[in-house]
Amino acid sequence: MRPRTFLHVLSVELRSQMSYRADFWINAFVGFLAEFGVTYFVWQAVFRESGKPIIGGYTFDGLVLYFLAVVLLGRLVSGREFEGQVCTDIYEGTLNRYLVFPASFTAFKYAQRIGNLGVAFAQFALFGIATLLVLDLPETRVSMASVAMAAVATAGANLLYFLTDNLVQYVAFWADNVWSLEVAKRWFVLLLGGYMLPLSVFPDGVRGVLEVLPFRFFFEFPARVFLGEIPFVMWVQGLALMGIWGIVAWLLGRLLWHRGQLQYTGVGI
Amino acid sequence: MIEVSALAKVFHVHKKAPGLKGSLKALFRRERIEKAAVKGVSFRVDEGEIVGLIGANGAGKTTLVKMLAGIIHPTSGSAKVLGFTPWERDNRLRRQISLIMGQKAQLWWDLPAADCFLLLREIYRVPEPQFRETIDYLSGVLDVRKELNVQIRRLSLGERMKMELIAALLHRPRVVFLDEPTIGLDLSAQRAIRDFILEYRRLHRPAMIVTSHYMEDIQRLCERILIIREGEFVYDGPLSAVVQRYAQSKVIRAHLRRTPEPVKVDGDLKALGELVECSTDQICLRVPRADVARASARILERYPVADLAIEEMDIGTIIERIFRERGEVGGLRGPAPAAPGAATGGKPATPAGEP
Repeated sequence: MRPRTFLHVLSVELRSQMSYRADFWINAFVGFLAEFGVTYFVWQAVFRESGKPIIGGYTFDGLVLYFLAVVLLGRLVSGREFEGQVCTDIYEGTLNRYLVFPASFTAFKYAQRIGNLGVAFAQFALFGIATLLVLDLPETRVSMASVAMAAVATAGANLLYFLTDNLVQYVAFWADNVWSLEVAKRWFVLLLGGYMLPLSVFPDGVRGVLEVLPFRFFFEFPARVFLGEIPFVMWVQGLALMGIWGIVAWLLGRLLWHRGQLQYTGVGI
Repeated sequence: MIEVSALAKVFHVHKKAPGLKGSLKALFRRERIEKAAVKGVSFRVDEGEIVGLIGANGAGKTTLVKMLAGIIHPTSGSAKVLGFTPWERDNRLRRQISLIMGQKAQLWWDLPAADCFLLLREIYRVPEPQFRETIDYLSGVLDVRKELNVQIRRLSLGERMKMELIAALLHRPRVVFLDEPTIGLDLSAQRAIRDFILEYRRLHRPAMIVTSHYMEDIQRLCERILIIREGEFVYDGPLSAVVQRYAQSKVIRAHLRRTPEPVKVDGDLKALGELVECSTDQICLRVPRADVARASARILERYPVADLAIEEMDIGTIIERIFRERGEVGGLRGPAPAAPGAATGGKPATPAGEP
């Protein structure tokens, strides 16, 4: 797909999303406030009840900052509103439309996914700044360099998330309805990616394994890069590992896509 | 432009017994059955030809169209569309074909049609002047210029279908698949769409395959039809020849002048054919084609005829009868390609399994 076409698809998706103004703003506000609010009060209770000043290497303020970055950047990575679209296309037969277009389905869907991040970008801009101003948080190591590095890490994480998510969604070629699998995958990814808990609370052995798996690159890695906790060399190493996982996911995805095509019946509602 | 040889598609479907017991059993073990949707069909469609693909629900029409549009892979056989194998989805082919599915929206629900068209212009790389000219022309002909900036989901079914047509023809495809293009539309919208398809054919000479349950669509658009029943072609030939071949009889309807005595039908007349109706006003007799002249003469000679009409059986009725017939009509064939009036490229249908 030409870059120009890619950008056009992206723009159409963004416009399509903004055509429901009420939903756009409700999603932008409630989505963030509910998620971040719950996390904030739960960890406040945990710190108060445990009486410990540090849990998993984080102070309460440090943890709040971590979750703020994870929630805001995580939405840019996972594009939650877009999840399940590929398997829905397969299940409902709307994939037919894309198969007759002279364009790559994967590229088309990725452009739509990026366009779908409109809400997440609005949240990042609005609440990232607002929360930092409202909450009395200690000074952070966030710098122009860490923001630039986090932008690259987040873009890479977004692509990796898309490629790995497709692996689950392509199962719809064989199983029709993969809703339960999608839910299971989401919990698995949120837990092992550092979205629900910082990975530092896991035992050392588990952490060692999680270091090399792709999940931490979805949430923990971009957030810590943003907060200035990842030095340059580790950032490069992280990107390289992310790239390897990306290639593996892409190759597997191609295999599943081509095999799945043989099963596809194009029926649906 | 389209060449199909022994194309077949078998679906594997799961079978589940009804009721709770069946559902519970299916959780652990499901019976898988094979369903042959298309059974080795062969045909060709040439430039400028509109071929009607007709059959009852589940006959295999849409499956065949999906294979030719490259959406699904066949189980066996081959097909070439503009020299390409459709399911290999070469972009050079996809830029030259179009698929319109009346039962499925292809456009983006939340966008105005104008935005959808702009996106399609990008996808199909339509040059700007051609795009403007085509939109202007198509929206004018279909009378939807005022609706171009309305969200698709807010359009009526007829307007949406017209937008779908514009979207499908923006890139001036050389091969068009129309799957139920007028389904659910009112009569005037149906007529507008038919006229438009004919005009598009006149201007661009594409090869078209139309599936429809509306005989009006088929009669207006197609010179040649393919009748598919349970995945097999039972007829491939000119629409007009269906009547000649499968309507073995005609109906003679004689309107009578008023007479004081009631009409009495003599045995001689009954021997000529089947008496459908007899009243003081009219006699209606179904007679074999070969006996039409003799029977007409006899009626004119013996009865006070005011007006006489010889009617062909309605084509819809004939085709419906062909749908219903089973094994006993396995030998039905369209006329040979060389037969007078045969459509270009028309070939006799091939029985299942025969190469």
